[in-house]
Amino acid sequence: MEALYEHNQADVNDAKSQQRTDLIPSVRFRHCCLLRNRRCVCTYLYDRLLRIRALRWEYGSVLPANVRFHMSAEELQWFARYKKSLASYMRSLGASGGLDITQEMKPPKSLYVQVRCVKDHGELEMDDGTLVLLKKNSQHFLPRWECEQLIRQGVLEHVVP
Amino acid sequence: MFVTDIRKEFYEVVANQRVALLVAPDIDALCACKILQALFHCDQIQYTLVPVTGWQDLGTAFFEHKKQFRYFVLINCGANVDLLEMLQPDDDSILFICDTHRPVDVVNVYNDTQIKLLIKQDDDLGVPLYDEIFRDDEDEEEEEGNDSGNESDNGSEPSGKRRRFDEGEIERRIERQREKREWEARRKEILFDYEQYEYHGTSAAIMFFELAWVLTKDTKDMLWWAVIGLTDQWVHDKITNMKYVTDIGTMQRHVSRHNHRNEDEENSLSIDCMRISFEYDLRLTLYQHWSLYESISNSCYTSCHFKLWTLNGQKKLQEFLADMGLPLKQVRQKFTSMDMSIKENLREVIEESSNKFGLKDIRIQTFGVHFGFKNRFLASDMVHASTALLESTEKDKSETDNFIKALDSLSRSNLERLHLGIDLAKKKLIAIQQTVASCICTNLILSQGPFLYCYLTEGTPDVKLFSKPMALTLLCKYLLKAFIQSTRNKRCRLLPLIMAAPKDVDKGTVLVVGIPPDAETSDKKNFFGRAFEKAAESTSSRTLHDHFDTSIIELKTEDRSKFLDALITLLS
Repeated sequence: MEALYEHNQADVNDAKSQQRTDLIPSVRFRHCCLLRNRRCVCTYLYDRLLRIRALRWEYGSVLPANVRFHMSAEELQWFARYKKSLASYMRSLGASGGLDITQEMKPPKSLYVQVRCVKDHGELEMDDGTLVLLKKNSQHFLPRWECEQLIRQGVLEHVVP
Repeated sequence: MFVTDIRKEFYEVVANQRVALLVAPDIDALCACKILQALFHCDQIQYTLVPVTGWQDLGTAFFEHKKQFRYFVLINCGANVDLLEMLQPDDDSILFICDTHRPVDVVNVYNDTQIKLLIKQDDDLGVPLYDEIFRDDEDEEEEEGNDSGNESDNGSEPSGKRRRFDEGEIERRIERQREKREWEARRKEILFDYEQYEYHGTSAAIMFFELAWVLTKDTKDMLWWAVIGLTDQWVHDKITNMKYVTDIGTMQRHVSRHNHRNEDEENSLSIDCMRISFEYDLRLTLYQHWSLYESISNSCYTSCHFKLWTLNGQKKLQEFLADMGLPLKQVRQKFTSMDMSIKENLREVIEESSNKFGLKDIRIQTFGVHFGFKNRFLASDMVHASTALLESTEKDKSETDNFIKALDSLSRSNLERLHLGIDLAKKKLIAIQQTVASCICTNLILSQGPFLYCYLTEGTPDVKLFSKPMALTLLCKYLLKAFIQSTRNKRCRLLPLIMAAPKDVDKGTVLVVGIPPDAETSDKKNFFGRAFEKAAESTSSRTLHDHFDTSIIELKTEDRSKFLDALITLLS
């Protein structure tokens, strides 16, 4: 894009100083190319921002290191600001501390869900302090909110009875 | 102790608690587990399901989970061993055991606090009385105290009196010791008689189905699983014919209750709904998913009666088919593609012809299910399919993987898995028939005196399939039936059979299975459990008694001959 811009500048100066009207179509052509390229780059950057926004809903507020590696500093800043804005919105909902709306993405069919452990994960501590040992190929019937994070990570697998 | 009211003493106790389910690897246990899972889903009882493949596995699983759970349910494992000693549960743990293995260990029966048995008490248990086995040791302590008291008084008392006291004391002491010795001898005898034979009781799936029925939460799916559990016991020859017929009668009542509720002229059910029906169907394994010819050739009953490993047998089979008027081309086709005109009266036609040829019980009472236009299964089809999946010998599949696959295949939503299981079952049956044929033709079965013995060498085709306990047991039973048909020696027909097959080539072990003699009215009681234990002890062979069925053990190949010799001397 810079090369195109340089050429255009040169030609515009030429046209202005030497009254060469035959350079004008090439200038316009280069200008259109520049506009198009700018639109593409903007679309690409905007799409990246949308995906980063989706990452917040998928991964939670801490992104894994391999994802953060691929983001630029400005994108990280944008992500931090988005996180803050989402958090303050969630705090304002509902009583006493707000509602975490990133939890139930689809309306749940039941309070408890049957899951199967796909790989060894060790012990899981639930909200009320009880421990569950997640061994490979064991099946469990647990409250939905305990399992969702692990289902997304691939440690547990939802089983339809 | 035995639980009398299963709803109050089991279900309501665990209603708001978290439970650990430890399940053994057989189809009856899987069905019972599915029924219990469905009940728990209904009432939102949190549970964790852990498959256990043997005693060591049970111990490990219990140890890992005992800090997190207070209530444990053991399905088809644990009743025939002293659990308190083996698992050493904490004082507030409660173990509920629903197991078909008998005899139930006396400690499990008489423990009042921690072990609850979900077993019907009228199941001809024959448990010895409490006083005959357990005796308070208080009398002994008192007499010790008296004796020492007397001895310390010895110095102070005059000698005449002392002699009289001493004599009285000595007499009483001798009397007590004699009584004690007699009582101990009697106790040993009673326990030996009680624990000598191993057999099976009412299916665990039926126990849990009855729990569901008492809670009025029973569904057709649960009923179907209960039927499959019962059929598993029959297919693997664990219960007597009488018991099977009685239990079928019980199930038939439930089936008619469920069917009666829904069908009538105005609102008939959609074709996709599940319907269970009572069938007086043929004893040909998997015949609806195979061709009739293959099924007849590979079913134990027909193959043994016709002696299909001989040329004569093959000719008789052709005669049999000709007698029924079934063209060979039709009979070799897939059953579903046979002509409708042939399929319509097939059962009656086959029954008539088989009566002529001497097969009296070609038909057996069982149940079938159908849902949708394509899906019709008999209970025995499901049992064979699930067993094949449970014991599949694919590489890199652990036993728990197979357990999960088999568990899934029992649900109606996993039909591809079920069909895969049916294919595996067909391969297994063909392998069994070929092995039986080769064993009989090459006279691999040797009579060792008190029992028959057969060893499958490593080069035998499909021997990998027989490194699994249930497959080897099935092979054993078919082989015994075939042997009885083919031998002329009358005495050999009454002998039990022991079979050994290589289990793990790297570790150099063989799997040894013993089954009781085959007879029409046999009570299926197996004494090999205790016999194997004693033989292993006396020869100090390296054995692993890891299976829940004590008549199946793993043995080092080198110790095979001395183990056998010990068994021969023990049993003759």
